Amino acid sequence: MIELCRRDFLKGAGAAGAGCALATALPGTLAAMGAQPLSGSEKAIPSICEMCSTRCPISARVLDGKAVYIEGNAAAKSFGGKVCARGGAGHSLLYDPQRLVKPLKRVGERGEGKWQEIEWSEAYSILAQRLEQIRREHGAEAVAFSSKSGSLSGHLFHFAKAFGSPNTFTHASTCPGAYVIAANAMFGGKVKRDLGNSKYIINFGHNLYEGINMSETRAMMKAQTDKRAKLVVFEPRFSIVADKADEWYAIRPGSDVAVALALCHVLISENLYDKAFIERYVEGFEAFAAEVSAYTPEWAEAISDVPAKDIRRIAREFAKAAPHAVVDFGHRATFTPEEFDMRRALYAANVLIGNFERKGGLYFGQKAAGYNKLAGEAVAPVLGKPGVADMPKPTAKRIDQVDEQYAMMWSEGGIYQSVIDATLEAKPYQLHGWVMCRTNPMQTMTDRAKVVESMKKLDFVAVVDVYISETAAWADLILPESTYLERDEEISDKSGKSPGYYVRQRVVDVIGDTKPSWQIFRELGLKMGMEKYYPWENMETLQLLQTNKDVALLNHIKEKGFVSYGKPLMLREKSMVQDFVAAYPGAHAADEDGSYASLLKFKTPSGRIELVSPKVEAMAPGRGGIQYRPVTLKQPDELYFIQGKVAVHTNGATHNIPMLANLMSDNAVWVHPSTAEALGIKDGDAIRLKSSVGVEEGKALVTKGIRPDTVFAYMGFGSKNRELVRATGKGIHCGNLLPNVTAPVCGMNVHTTGVILEKA
Amino acid sequence: MSKRYVMVHDENKCIGCQACSVACRSINQVPDGVSRLQVRIEGPFGEAPHLHFKYNRVSCQQCEDAPCVKVCPTGAAYVGDDGIVSIKADKCVGCMYCVAACPYKVRFMNPLTRVADKCNFCKETRLARGEQPACVTVCPTDALCFGDAADPGSEVSKLLATKVSYQDKTHLGTKPRLYRIPAKRGGI
Repeated sequence: MIELCRRDFLKGAGAAGAGCALATALPGTLAAMGAQPLSGSEKAIPSICEMCSTRCPISARVLDGKAVYIEGNAAAKSFGGKVCARGGAGHSLLYDPQRLVKPLKRVGERGEGKWQEIEWSEAYSILAQRLEQIRREHGAEAVAFSSKSGSLSGHLFHFAKAFGSPNTFTHASTCPGAYVIAANAMFGGKVKRDLGNSKYIINFGHNLYEGINMSETRAMMKAQTDKRAKLVVFEPRFSIVADKADEWYAIRPGSDVAVALALCHVLISENLYDKAFIERYVEGFEAFAAEVSAYTPEWAEAISDVPAKDIRRIAREFAKAAPHAVVDFGHRATFTPEEFDMRRALYAANVLIGNFERKGGLYFGQKAAGYNKLAGEAVAPVLGKPGVADMPKPTAKRIDQVDEQYAMMWSEGGIYQSVIDATLEAKPYQLHGWVMCRTNPMQTMTDRAKVVESMKKLDFVAVVDVYISETAAWADLILPESTYLERDEEISDKSGKSPGYYVRQRVVDVIGDTKPSWQIFRELGLKMGMEKYYPWENMETLQLLQTNKDVALLNHIKEKGFVSYGKPLMLREKSMVQDFVAAYPGAHAADEDGSYASLLKFKTPSGRIELVSPKVEAMAPGRGGIQYRPVTLKQPDELYFIQGKVAVHTNGATHNIPMLANLMSDNAVWVHPSTAEALGIKDGDAIRLKSSVGVEEGKALVTKGIRPDTVFAYMGFGSKNRELVRATGKGIHCGNLLPNVTAPVCGMNVHTTGVILEKA
Repeated sequence: MSKRYVMVHDENKCIGCQACSVACRSINQVPDGVSRLQVRIEGPFGEAPHLHFKYNRVSCQQCEDAPCVKVCPTGAAYVGDDGIVSIKADKCVGCMYCVAACPYKVRFMNPLTRVADKCNFCKETRLARGEQPACVTVCPTDALCFGDAADPGSEVSKLLATKVSYQDKTHLGTKPRLYRIPAKRGGI
């Protein structure tokens, strides 16, 4: 392919790794611009990664003006100065010839792939004119705004508010929403897990050794190696985390809730729970105990295929390690419509052993304001919140506000997939426009065909991205965003057991004609006459407002990249409280027992942990308490289709990045040898998967590491638009097989379905 | 020899995430199609539920008795004072004898420089700056340990003294300096 390259950008940049694969360079891409110099800091600059959502602290420097070397920022202790494969490959995105560096206007039919390079001024004119037209004709609420949640999503949502639309969405309902909602319902806020100090970890497929979250991945490995913690994994697939476990059970997909409830059953029926903790902090225990009395391990075995005797033994071992033990509440699962109660059941097992604010258990993060109050002195600076006093409050109802049961999701990012219903069926009213920023619903939402239909039906679609992503390919206008290595951003809170901050900083000068999205939406706002909502000029102004104009503090945070303050604190851990009180003379006095147990409060309506939630009951009748409800995920002749993460790619985002595409460009479908044999399928054979909504063709990976009734594929592959040259047509597209189903209360997009497997 | 640099790869701690491989490519600017370092996840072996993967580091073994050095006709391949098998680029004539002689199949011709290439523990790119090799620095799970085995107080010496380790193809008499701590179920 190399001889087909017209302009070998890499000769100019001298970087390795990104051959041009298009005969003709796409308009607007780096390849089309020709060689661009790479200038930036030869001294390592601390910054923040953006190759996945964990946003690890990194340190990066330009090598001889040719390449960028990225490693972890050693100042961030829990991250250990480490970086994963995706993070280490960030520069491969930076100077990828296929990266977008010029605004593009669609000139052919939508999705046809005909583009024309335009100037930013024209791009802003088009955007302003089309958005104003929709607002005039249908109201501002007829435009939806969505962004992957993150450092800059706030700037898009700020614009949306100023424009007048309440319809703002993050990717929460397609990924991390459920455990946040379940925690809000039970504890009144998000909780963290202290894996590093745990002696016993029960894991329901939270694949921290592939879906790497650096601090948690390291903590779990530390617990396993240094503390000899036991790890029990329930997962239908033999993943890396299953490989590293002491025990692995190939649980039936979607039955996690049954096993979690059976664990609770054993803890209660055998009196292995922490009665004092329950009495002091928990509401609804009696009702919960009555409910789980039916959920015996034998009952769970019939549903999950996990042997009852093992469930019983594991529950006892777990209780024995209490309170320094944890049931990991997981990350992206969305296996079933019972996602909400699955998460609550996992949390409940933790509640029963009273591991809250204890080492190795669950805890609330310590942010500066609260921490300082406890310490009786200003241990950590409290950041200012730059804001605009008189921001408009859109009067229209959100499109996902039709069903009260999702109320808790509205403030957490909304039900992303409701954009599809509103567009295609005018439910609850018709959408006419969609503005997106680095989000790829065509990969991460379900039922791809419906997403395409929606894109076709809308009057106007604009996308901000670094590539012509699968979704961007269907837009009318694509605005090229600077990569994270070219951006300065606001200071972010990275508090854990003590307060901490970090900041993203530019490592290289902007390549091509791109802008950070904060600038894009500010300039658009100004173009549309909304100056009063943008009283700040640039990122430096915002940063200074954050540090309350303390230049020295700002410089300190920038120089270190990551700063943390004070001593780690967990309210019910006496040794930590003791250290805390000793360090700060004005500190809040410890309780009689030497802990801060009396200060542990929950922001639920009752002020206690709610095993039964009247609030949820009011929103979704019948769902106040945690219970098991059978679900049908597949027909008898079908196989379960499940997905998961791999260490070298992130969801729908990284599959075209040269270095990562070279490492892995396909997601062969895992099939058990007995299933494969029955269908005459051999390893590497072409196969077909059919679901109720789509058909995908790919390759079989025949492996013992999967249940016979289940097939597995890593998600994010099989892009269908020609623009992502390295990713298109390689592997199967998971979203094309998954029907659009929303789980009650938490609003999650369900990600398990039944498929027919056959030889292609 | 003043130093005896060795690498220990703990296969228990390794999760096959390829962070090492990417960092190696980046800092040493390794071109496409060739590689100095890979970790291959092999398996699963065994019968369910008692399955296991193998995490196989494929890179220069830094042999004390290196076949590639023996066959090099120009002296381009040599064992340095630090014990690292290295290449003098200006002496390499591209005859590929070393590539053929390596029993571990980890040598290659660099398509850009036309010089025989392989892992050299980041000798020029990291060690010269007083830094650890890139793979060691970035490894998320601390599965790699690098240092001077001639120094009994070094971390590698302590690790090799306390943990069971093995080297690949020792029957060939090459005396590799890449040590591996074998994975075992529940071993981490």
